[in-house]
Amino acid sequence: MHQRCYRTIGSIFLLSVLTGLLLFSPAVAFAVQSQTPVQTEWWVWEIALFVFSFFLGIIAVIAGVGGGVLFVPIVSSFFPFHIDFVRGAGLLVALSGALSAGSPLLKKGLANLKLALSMALIASVSSIAGAMVGLAMPENVVQLSLGATILGISVIMLLSKNSAYPEIKEPDTLSKILHIYGIYYDEQLKKDVSWQIHRTPIGLLLFIVIGFMAGMFGLGAGWANVPVFNLVLGAPLRVSVATSIFVLSINDTAAAWVYLHKGAVLPLIAVPSVAGMMLGTKIGARLLTKVHTRVVRKLVITLLAGAGLRALLKGFGI
Amino acid sequence: MKPKLHANRIQLTYATVLSWTSTLGIIFIVAGYFVYVFQLLPSTVSPAEVAMHWSLRAAELHKIVPVPSGWDWIYQLGRGDVLSYASVVYLSSVTMLCLAVIIPLFLKEKDMIYAVMTLLQVLVLVFAAAGIVSGGH
Repeated sequence: MHQRCYRTIGSIFLLSVLTGLLLFSPAVAFAVQSQTPVQTEWWVWEIALFVFSFFLGIIAVIAGVGGGVLFVPIVSSFFPFHIDFVRGAGLLVALSGALSAGSPLLKKGLANLKLALSMALIASVSSIAGAMVGLAMPENVVQLSLGATILGISVIMLLSKNSAYPEIKEPDTLSKILHIYGIYYDEQLKKDVSWQIHRTPIGLLLFIVIGFMAGMFGLGAGWANVPVFNLVLGAPLRVSVATSIFVLSINDTAAAWVYLHKGAVLPLIAVPSVAGMMLGTKIGARLLTKVHTRVVRKLVITLLAGAGLRALLKGFGI
Repeated sequence: MKPKLHANRIQLTYATVLSWTSTLGIIFIVAGYFVYVFQLLPSTVSPAEVAMHWSLRAAELHKIVPVPSGWDWIYQLGRGDVLSYASVVYLSSVTMLCLAVIIPLFLKEKDMIYAVMTLLQVLVLVFAAAGIVSGGH
């Protein structure tokens, strides 16, 4: 009874955070400010970005959504920064999150080095290509394709049903050659779970597409990595999530260098975003058991779809 | 009974190096940022000046203000904005360092497939960092 009460209070708190994100977002401040000649000081934007990223970090963890995928569409909609810099910061947000989560996942044996390395090599090359194409495209085309991609991601998140322990009867030849299989201790089942994969060539092709899109839009690619590892290759869900984070750290590094060379990384935008998101993620992880994650997830997907629609309209010049 | 962890030596080495280097990276970017925004060191471009142009495309902003990009900052490390940028560069190099560490371990275990694959991965990242495959100038 008490637990349900706490969870309801937690959900209401999260709902108010979401509402706050929309109502008191800098977009509103910007709209108000645009009616007056007063110029907002740069440090106000810095603090707003930190606070915004902090709340984004909280809801991202609770909704089980990568921070990077929420960051780019929302920040590019509500803040005065050019989308080039928002994509650069988005990549660093996803990268730093992946770097700090990677070590414990590798130590526990949840993330698998061989599975990750096999997919990351080809995906990182396409990620570099995606970043170069993305930075060369006209702004309205970027907004249009970002909007369409984000709407697509919302649909994937809403419809995809992961499989916790997929059954693979026979691993494919390539995965046998590459020795991609493993064993991990499942804390829920309280026993060791061994796994293997199939359809490796299809997975490799899909990772080319994922890498390209992640580099082009500066998005973390957990939304695509996890379904491919889990539903296409047949890795257990926990292994898929953990290995996805590890692959992200490699692909986003490759794309981040393109953004660095093209001058699309401003520490003034990237650092408050990274710091806010990381702090928010830690708080979010603590709130995880206290809120109705399903409700929050649906709300976040709605928020994401809204941001995608907004990017689409921006692309059309509306 | 404590559950047995199933991570091999190479994976554990990668995890240990990653843990240290990424923690340092986070400390560096926060420290570099404070040095820059509080103007503890002189800067090439002040935060206010950058903020005046951050709504422009990256290429346009660079024509107006000389903010650091690529590797053009390397001889100006004593400046606040450059220090902050260098910390971001370090964070973007962490994965390369970790991968480079495990290549000899794969070789030692005679796992040639993964030694070559990791070497190729490091080369892709090094080329990207050098601006060879990432459009550097």
